[in-house]
Amino acid sequence: MGSYIVKRILLAIPLLIIISFITFVLINLSPLDPAVVVLQAQEVPQITDELIAQTNEALGFDQPFMIQYANWIMAVLQLDFGNSYVSGEPVWSLMGPAFMNTLKLTLVSSVFIIALSILLGVICAMREGKLLDRSVRGISFFLTAMPSYWLAAIMIWYFSVKLDMLPTSGMDSYRSYILPVIVITVSYTGIYFRTVRSSMLSNMNEDYVLYARASGLSEKKVTLHILRNSLQVAVSIFCMAIPIVLGSTVVIENVFAWPGLGRLSVKSILSRDFPIIQAYVLMLAVTFVLFNTLSDIINAAMNPRLRKEF
Amino acid sequence: MKKGLTFTSILLLVSAITVLAGCAQSTKEKESAQTEPANSQVQTELIYASAKDINDMNPHLYTGSMPAQGMIYESLVENTPDGIKPLLAESWDISEDGKTYTFYLRQDVKFHDGEPFNAEAVKQNIDAVQANAEKHAWIKLSTKITSVKVIDEHTVELTLSEAYYPALVELSMTRPYVFISPKDFKEGGTKDGVSGFHGTGPYKLTAHKVEENATFEANEDYWGGAPAIKKITSKVLPAGETTFLALQKGEINFVFTDDRGADSIDVEAMDQLAESGDYQLVRSEAMNTNMIVANSSRQNSPVQETAVREALWVGIDRETISNDIFNGTQTVADTLFSANVNYAKVDLKKREYDPEMAKQLLDQAGWTLASGEGVRKKNGQPLAMKLYYDSNSSSQKIQAELIQYSMKELGVQLEIVGEESTSIANRRATGEYDLLFNQTWGLAYDPQSTIAAFTSDSAYKHTTSGIAEADELYKKIDAVMVSTDEASRQSLYADIMKIVHDEAVFIPITNGRVTIVAPENLEGISFKQTQYELPFEQMNFKYIN
Repeated sequence: MGSYIVKRILLAIPLLIIISFITFVLINLSPLDPAVVVLQAQEVPQITDELIAQTNEALGFDQPFMIQYANWIMAVLQLDFGNSYVSGEPVWSLMGPAFMNTLKLTLVSSVFIIALSILLGVICAMREGKLLDRSVRGISFFLTAMPSYWLAAIMIWYFSVKLDMLPTSGMDSYRSYILPVIVITVSYTGIYFRTVRSSMLSNMNEDYVLYARASGLSEKKVTLHILRNSLQVAVSIFCMAIPIVLGSTVVIENVFAWPGLGRLSVKSILSRDFPIIQAYVLMLAVTFVLFNTLSDIINAAMNPRLRKEF
Repeated sequence: MKKGLTFTSILLLVSAITVLAGCAQSTKEKESAQTEPANSQVQTELIYASAKDINDMNPHLYTGSMPAQGMIYESLVENTPDGIKPLLAESWDISEDGKTYTFYLRQDVKFHDGEPFNAEAVKQNIDAVQANAEKHAWIKLSTKITSVKVIDEHTVELTLSEAYYPALVELSMTRPYVFISPKDFKEGGTKDGVSGFHGTGPYKLTAHKVEENATFEANEDYWGGAPAIKKITSKVLPAGETTFLALQKGEINFVFTDDRGADSIDVEAMDQLAESGDYQLVRSEAMNTNMIVANSSRQNSPVQETAVREALWVGIDRETISNDIFNGTQTVADTLFSANVNYAKVDLKKREYDPEMAKQLLDQAGWTLASGEGVRKKNGQPLAMKLYYDSNSSSQKIQAELIQYSMKELGVQLEIVGEESTSIANRRATGEYDLLFNQTWGLAYDPQSTIAAFTSDSAYKHTTSGIAEADELYKKIDAVMVSTDEASRQSLYADIMKIVHDEAVFIPITNGRVTIVAPENLEGISFKQTQYELPFEQMNFKYIN
């Protein structure tokens, strides 16, 4: 198992290098002069040639591309993503708090998503084809299809304005979490519970279930057995739920004025604050790779056959 | 057993929902308990929604929020509808040759940190701005200041390299010639950042949570008297819908737009709030002009021809744009500058919406429409142009579509392209465009800033350089900026405005105004000469509970 983990992690490294290179290249493909971008981001009212030359020199844009990349990647390895074009502050001092805010929202939502998905998945599988199964799937289909900003607006209107129970937006206290968490949970549970359900259903038809029943195991034990095996499949999907939610809070954060990564990224894209965009893309990519690796390791731990195939 | 499991699950689900609902319920009780004392406080507090964080409040750079900077920092003089008035300078003398300005400062002014505001502070601040002169190239004064001299504790002398009449106007702007406590300087300057934000203005910045909110409290020692509104909070709310709901709930109670409609909720939402009786809508006079800029120097493009530009002008139905796209919040503009801009009361021929005349103009210029064809041609070249608009501005997009349709009726093929505002600025600088949307600098800056930009490579040089009288135009612009005589300035400006008007290189569409949504019982709402700031210190609530 140890060697599997080492191999799996080593394999992630070249992937991260490729991602970092693509991130850097994509941003540098922009047809605009980088110095002009910096000055526009700083909202300098009038950009003169002297100012462009000065900025190019100050930020090292006059150097060859590969040297710029090498400098960037060396700094990134020390967690130095440079300074924001707009505020001049270190990228990490802006990304850090925003990342923590989004992470809090993501973790709370993920707990609800996972718990609800398992619960609903099991219930629906046990009641396959019955009214309960059909209505849960129907409602979840409806809720998943509903645009989340729309759902959010309705929730704010009803719970905050009409009933005056919750704040409309911001991140002031635990109450601020309630509406965004509900919206995120509603949007994703519909997708994940279906996986649990179908995994449960396919397991129910496996030979081991027939064998367990035949050997007189109680129905409760059989169900738990099926659930354990079904969750193995679901683990990798749940592992990916965290980076997916992390990367897709943009809409929710904008509606609820949540000071997180999604908002920061939109703001940075609009003002072309490239150091922040680069750090954001790279960080999301790393999170995806990490969780993907993690889910592989967990799967391998639960299923020794996977280790041999590797 | 199956039944048992289902039952347990449902029980769990129900209890989960109850817990959530319970949370919400208890918070309701808490909130109603909190709002009781808050109610009486609300009368001295404004909370406004802003799409952007206040950012770096260094007044000598450009990323900070202008409304926020306007509350904290002050300039030597103030620009008002009646001309330049004293602010931190009580009075001033201008030498005969127009090169030396002597300012006599107010003696009762202190920075928020208690430091005295005096001639030395003025010198240090202006020197700090000049140390970063490249960044301030847009403000011509920065290229003309040669020295700042402390005469005595409260007298300071500014020397220019040549006479420059808009000097006082440029000293009155929100930035960069405003004053921050020299104690906040880093390494003797401000260009690499500052360590605090202490100005002399009516409000102090007391708290700032990045991307969440910023709190400004009344400066009780303000030389102009403590403001009635004691606390102003700027809350970052990016989405229009959320802002509207937060206004309805009373979490925020103040919203205002800038010239591009940013920081705003839509017109219908504003009307709805006003109809509720809790809010009032207040609109400023014309602040700037939204226009289409035509690239007269574009090679091989029909836009080079005056007749084509003129046809475009009379072919645009600005009444419909004003009434239907802006619901009357923006008024029809007939000239580059509205009449309330200094020096802009000039007699220029009015070009009304007249599609027939547009057709005539094009026919006369040789752009004819062959029967059975949709696009006019001249020497085999189709009458086709591209119009660039800001893809983030929904109103620009709708205007572009309307204009495209009108042009099609005239036999003009207009392709419309939405791009980021930075790309549009880039096109304007490189000349890679036929037509693009833009706006004038605004009341406080005009006419001098927009007109100075006519000659600037990064601004309107491509727009103006293709016209026949370009050289003459540039000479007049140079002359007007250094003229010391009011009458000649008036006549030079009139000539400049007439040239660009006759050449139709700046096609005015509407005049932008600032709209405020404020609590119904708020009094003293007025505007400054810029579309970016508001005089909060003059506001007060009508009745206090």
